[in-house]
Amino acid sequence: MLSALQPASLAGIPANPPGIPQGISGQADPAPAPHLPCHHCGEPCSQGQFKLDSHSFCCLGCQTVFSLLRDSGLGNFYSIATRPGTRVDAAARPDRWAFLDDPSVTARLLDFNDERISRVTFHLPAIHCVACVWLLENLYRLHPGVGRTQVNFARREVAITFSPQKAPLSQIASLLARIGYEPSLTLAELDHKTERPRSRLGLQIAVAGFAFGNIMLFSLPLYLGLDSVTGPTFRGLFGWLSLALALPVVAFSAGDYWRSAWASVRQRTLTLDVPIAAGLAALYGQSAWEILSGHGEGYLDSLAGLVFFLLCGRIFQRKTHERLAFDRDYKGFFPLAVVRQTPTGEETVSISRLQVGDRLRVRHGELIPADARLLSDDALIDYSFVTGESEPVTRHSGDHLYAGGRHVGGAVELETLKPVSQSYLTSLWNDEAFRKGRNDSFDTLTNRYSRRFTRLVLAVAVAAILGWALAGNASRGLKAFTSVLIVACPCALALAAPFTLGTAQRLLARRGVCLRNGHVVEAIAKVDAIALDKTGTLTAASTTEIRFHGTDLTPKETAAIAALCGQSTHPYSRRIAQLAPASESLLVSGFSETAGAGLSAQVGGRSILVGSAAWLRRHDVPIPDSHPASASVLIAFDGRFRGAFTLDNTLRPEVDTLLHNLGQRFELALISGDNERERNRFAVLFGDHARLHFNQSPQDKLGFIRRLQSKGHTVMMVGDGLNDAGALRQGDVGVAVVEGVGKFSPASDVILDSQMVPRLGSIVDFSRRATWIVRVGFSISAAYNVVGISIAAAGILSPLICAILMPVSSATVVLFAVGATTLAARRFGLTSAAGPDLESETRNTKR
Amino acid sequence: MNVETFRYDNRIVRAFAIATIVFAIVGMSAGLLAAIQLFYPAANLNLEYTTFGRLRPLHTNAVIFAFVGNGMFMGIYYSLQRLCKARMFSDTLSWINFWGWNAVIVAAAVTLPLGLTTSKEYAELEWPIDIAIAVVWVVFTVNLLGTIAKRREKHMYVAIWFYIATALTVAVLHIVNSLAVPAGAFKSYSIYAGVQDALVQWWYGHNAVAFFLTTPYLGLMYYFLPKAADRPVFSYRLSIIHFWALIFLYIWAGPHHLLYTALPDWAQSLGMVFSLMLIAPSWGGMLNGLLTLRGAWDKVRQDPMLKFMVVAVTAYGMATLEGPTLAIKSVNSLSHYTDWTIAHVHTGALGWNGFLTFSMLYWLFPKMYRTRLYSVKLANYHFWIGLLGIMFYVVPMYFSGVTQGLMWKQFTADGFLQYPNFLETVIRLLPMHRLRAVGGGLFIVGVFIMAWNLYKTAKHGNFLADEEVQAAVAEPKHVPADKKWGHRWLEAKPITFSVLTVLAILVGGLIEIVPFYLIKENVPTLSSVKPYTPLEVLGRDLYIREGCVGCHSQMIRPFRSETERYGEYSKAGEFVYDHPFLWGSKRTGPDLHREGGKYPHAWHYHHMEKPESTSPGSIMPPYPWLLTRKLDTSSLQARIKALRRVGVPYPEGFETTAKQDLEAQAQQIVLGLKTGMIDAPPDREIIALIAYLQRLGTDIKAQALAETPATP
Amino acid sequence: MEVLVLLIAASLALAGTVLAVFFWATRTGQFDDTTTPAMRILTDDPPAPSTLSPTLPQKTQDP
Repeated sequence: MLSALQPASLAGIPANPPGIPQGISGQADPAPAPHLPCHHCGEPCSQGQFKLDSHSFCCLGCQTVFSLLRDSGLGNFYSIATRPGTRVDAAARPDRWAFLDDPSVTARLLDFNDERISRVTFHLPAIHCVACVWLLENLYRLHPGVGRTQVNFARREVAITFSPQKAPLSQIASLLARIGYEPSLTLAELDHKTERPRSRLGLQIAVAGFAFGNIMLFSLPLYLGLDSVTGPTFRGLFGWLSLALALPVVAFSAGDYWRSAWASVRQRTLTLDVPIAAGLAALYGQSAWEILSGHGEGYLDSLAGLVFFLLCGRIFQRKTHERLAFDRDYKGFFPLAVVRQTPTGEETVSISRLQVGDRLRVRHGELIPADARLLSDDALIDYSFVTGESEPVTRHSGDHLYAGGRHVGGAVELETLKPVSQSYLTSLWNDEAFRKGRNDSFDTLTNRYSRRFTRLVLAVAVAAILGWALAGNASRGLKAFTSVLIVACPCALALAAPFTLGTAQRLLARRGVCLRNGHVVEAIAKVDAIALDKTGTLTAASTTEIRFHGTDLTPKETAAIAALCGQSTHPYSRRIAQLAPASESLLVSGFSETAGAGLSAQVGGRSILVGSAAWLRRHDVPIPDSHPASASVLIAFDGRFRGAFTLDNTLRPEVDTLLHNLGQRFELALISGDNERERNRFAVLFGDHARLHFNQSPQDKLGFIRRLQSKGHTVMMVGDGLNDAGALRQGDVGVAVVEGVGKFSPASDVILDSQMVPRLGSIVDFSRRATWIVRVGFSISAAYNVVGISIAAAGILSPLICAILMPVSSATVVLFAVGATTLAARRFGLTSAAGPDLESETRNTKR
Repeated sequence: MNVETFRYDNRIVRAFAIATIVFAIVGMSAGLLAAIQLFYPAANLNLEYTTFGRLRPLHTNAVIFAFVGNGMFMGIYYSLQRLCKARMFSDTLSWINFWGWNAVIVAAAVTLPLGLTTSKEYAELEWPIDIAIAVVWVVFTVNLLGTIAKRREKHMYVAIWFYIATALTVAVLHIVNSLAVPAGAFKSYSIYAGVQDALVQWWYGHNAVAFFLTTPYLGLMYYFLPKAADRPVFSYRLSIIHFWALIFLYIWAGPHHLLYTALPDWAQSLGMVFSLMLIAPSWGGMLNGLLTLRGAWDKVRQDPMLKFMVVAVTAYGMATLEGPTLAIKSVNSLSHYTDWTIAHVHTGALGWNGFLTFSMLYWLFPKMYRTRLYSVKLANYHFWIGLLGIMFYVVPMYFSGVTQGLMWKQFTADGFLQYPNFLETVIRLLPMHRLRAVGGGLFIVGVFIMAWNLYKTAKHGNFLADEEVQAAVAEPKHVPADKKWGHRWLEAKPITFSVLTVLAILVGGLIEIVPFYLIKENVPTLSSVKPYTPLEVLGRDLYIREGCVGCHSQMIRPFRSETERYGEYSKAGEFVYDHPFLWGSKRTGPDLHREGGKYPHAWHYHHMEKPESTSPGSIMPPYPWLLTRKLDTSSLQARIKALRRVGVPYPEGFETTAKQDLEAQAQQIVLGLKTGMIDAPPDREIIALIAYLQRLGTDIKAQALAETPATP
Repeated sequence: MEVLVLLIAASLALAGTVLAVFFWATRTGQFDDTTTPAMRILTDDPPAPSTLSPTLPQKTQDP
């Protein structure tokens, strides 16, 4: 990707945000021979363009930073690490950060604020090495308004204290941006701002561990046997000390167990904490009685150890969860793209690369990726994803448009005010409104299981204690009782599904297969029929051959048609739009598009129709029989038929093999809105028993899916996000294929990068393997419980052993889930290093 | 925003650095001299001041408290200022710390050769100096905590934790162990007796190693190793875990120095278990240190400082693995009292402390003198010579330790000791002792090279006394509303904590001392065990003065090999009047607990005058001055009083009659000597010593085995 | 052996203190960030700009 950027960066044009990609490329691969590396960021620069102090720079931005640091005595920056900088965009818009001074925004951002002093925490993705830490923590050198700054490298965050009078927030932000650390402000970050590191669990573990160690110390002599002389003095003393030490463990360390157990008892719902709490109570009661009555030493060491290990198990679980969450937010970016306006023209960029201040061109039906200001006059925005209110609202130039809205009508321009928030879009997508009626089987299974499980465990435990009591061995009975309660561990079971599915989702996301949530994996696994759209799915629109038949068009007319088609996102429209460069002079008014039929609008004072024969007829345009049957997109000017474009689709690479092997294993169908003329071609590809349906309206497609389902099939619908919305939602799995400009359709369960279409087969296989792994995970933990509980009931296991076994079992299941899934992904060739891997960067810095 | 400009104090660092180098030479030379005496006794120049018994404590004190101590302060004073982004809390305190500490050391260097010692290992200094130490240490602690309190960097780097732990723990250890009742300006009696004294002493002895030689240096490692390697420590999280785990475990591990002694079994096993648990954190730390260098080994090849660092860390690993091993009872039964222990100690001292200190010096001088090291080549020489020195020292010591241990335990087919004559087992070791001296010599040569190298470096550079830097000041504290009550004041400052700590420890101390006087002695008192007579008391004090305990143990372990050789094994009850205990930790000579009555008075007289005359080939130095010098009885009253204070049941007013009692017993000895054709005046020191030696272990000979043994 | 009471008490007192300190440290977020501190110590503080006065970024914006 770096190479792709070279021309832009050499021209000194603001190509892209200084961010991790550049930061790392600056680090990882030094520039090719002919170019000197930039003294600041290490990117290659043409000799002598920017020079200062006999250093050369790739751009004015980098040079500015250099002189800035030099003048404020921070020249060391360059000796701490080799070329530590990140590329700096000199031509940054001055007012870019103005919105930060809007009181509401400021209020949301600041951690702390009084009239003289404020503190803010920014997320700076560009932080990547020791030098960054050093520079940022000496930021006060660069601006008199800045005070203490503290970097958190792992989180790529910097906490800045500053005086709002001397330096408004916008100035701080632009200062950071100017030295190459552009703050990234996402809605998500704004919202859960104050997540304090939960030190509580750590403390609970510390207390438990401390008590455990010391109680061990006092129990050892008792195990080893005190000698006759000193014994009496110390047995009592040690007993009491242990009792005292165990108290905080029960009261503080095990607090959560009491709380949740109590809660669940009140709500009559048995959670797993009930047996554990019961076990703890039993242990402490027994021990206290033994010690106070001088009968024995009790099991306080077991108690403390037990709590200690239980908590360790917890922390392990949580760490893994956080890890998954992290990957989801930072690595699994939607493969969505938008059209960005640059001085040189338009470019298509992934929304993950979008930054504040970019000018976007949003076409009919496209999603507004981030909060933005409308530049065009009017726009009709459908906020149904956000608000559920399906009636589109009209917005005027300068209005604030919220992310998640969908634009209806002719293309509009807007300027982003906030960067894209991945997690925000995800939440949109996961919104109940778009959930299908299907229940997430593994969840419910897990729930049902654990409820029964808890009852069973309690029953066994009680049986054990009674049994032993009757057998006249009460103390062993108690041991059995607690052991059973402790050893029983449905957590393992509860973990199998989320960890497997979560991992699967994460791995797929890295390859541009974005699942709405983990349970989509299950759905995919069940699929036995696949319905494919043709255009844009099996065929690549961009590379299509295009020919015009009919009375030749004047350049002006071509331009008009192009302008009209430029408004639409249909693959054909986009192909035709390429015929002429977009020109501002032609304004398109009264645009309307009917999915699967065509477009109409006034362009340059002439009304134009573009679409199917049916579409033209609907507008009473007579179509001469002379025109070739193969024609696909017909054109009419002012109600008069002018001719038609024929577009010969070129198949995506590997599609033939894909269709071949899918044909073997699935009920395969093609449903296309186009006419029949390519039937034979596809008949060959699909094999004879496949069904090919052409001239399908969106309704037809939907109906077709219904029919398949009524025949008991589980159907995967693969199509482009928009024209097939209905079908996508109807399908048990809706796969939206995106190429270049994506159409974000909440109706879909999967957003598939067009590159990955040929891999459909292996994606399904992988999903099946993943669900299999979940089942194996279930059985592992089931087996563990059966064995563990029965041994415990026999009163052979000591509670302490149980306390160790329990987290171990959870760990095994989790490790198995994650490991096996990753292996499976590798086996089906779905792993790759795509996407920025923050971990490895952290390592890079330890040069 | 207001930004503060301030200066780091390099002068104090330089002062400690110079002291470190000087005392390295002094302490190690003392060690070398002592080592030579172990195969060539005449090396004591026939001066009582340089006999092994007095030299050994001088050596240990000089290297531990003078060399390592100054090195530690050097490192802490340098790193702490930078880690806290603040000058030391108070320059005055800094300099009190420096001059005070080194005054203490000089005092030690004077008193120990004079034989003014408590005989407690690593705590030999007498009470006035002990008090001085306590004061200086408090000064250091305040200075440390003060600096931390006014730090400009919010986060406390892990090294700082290690420093704090050192400061607080060493204070407690030193005070608890040094509790004694004075009997004159330079004489005191430990308030603990026998087994208890032993326990306290080794609780201290172990933790002194732990918190004086280990924790501060770990802190320094965590600062200087990353700096030198120019890469962050392998895992910072691990380093934090390392610290807390170490702190929680160390405290408990003391008793392993007393395995198979009269200490109750369970206490011994306890010590053993916890010592074994120590391996985990120790190795965590070592690996963390070594892994920090992964990918930087090319650097290590060029940079002598890193070389030293690597060996130091490795040595730490070896020592911390060996320590727990030695704490295993079966191993200990072989290793205890032999050179093995010496080898173990020196792996740590030469490798870990020595090399780490050297690497710090090599790093600090160029930095403070703003120049490059005068000669990397010389530094490399130093490295290799030093390494060779360690090898030559440690390997022979292991060999000799195992050899002697086995020889002691060797029985013939028909069940007699193979080497009944202890001397045989000593003479067998002399070659190893020679090699050891060579090793020590090499090590010192290395130090001289370093001294020269650093001197030239200083000459070439120009010293930066006050390093001026700048930092933004911390914003005024604001406590989020969600804070629980307890943490506002806890958050106040670490200084609050130190106060709390001191309080906690004082309270703890009270809790401890009170029962100590209340609970009645329940070590089985043996009816036949009587307090020492005045003459024996003075004799015992001579035994202490001459440092006999450095070579002779008084603790016969319950092995057949030992009971065969020395007689009935030692019982806890026999030591109830031993203030301090004199069990010893090394047998260069035979155990003396059952010495009483073994030989006639005359034998001892000759033996003291000229050891070879009674035991040919002995490496024990002659003590002619004992025969000629008059016994000083002036302090007798004070001593009897003091002993009564610590619980020896001398009847009231006994001190007044003590003198006559003494003279009477002296006459007895003189008569005894007469039978051995020796005509000695009754007022010589030798008389008192003989009286003591002849008393040793005789109490239970009367009715041996009658009473219940302390250890079943 | 009652001296053991002394040692245990002393040790517990120390251990207790250590635990308290640990509490304080965690509560005050000493261990929140376990990456940056290790990197922070590698760099020395910048020399005080007694020679050069901290220049306002605005001034140096366009050289």
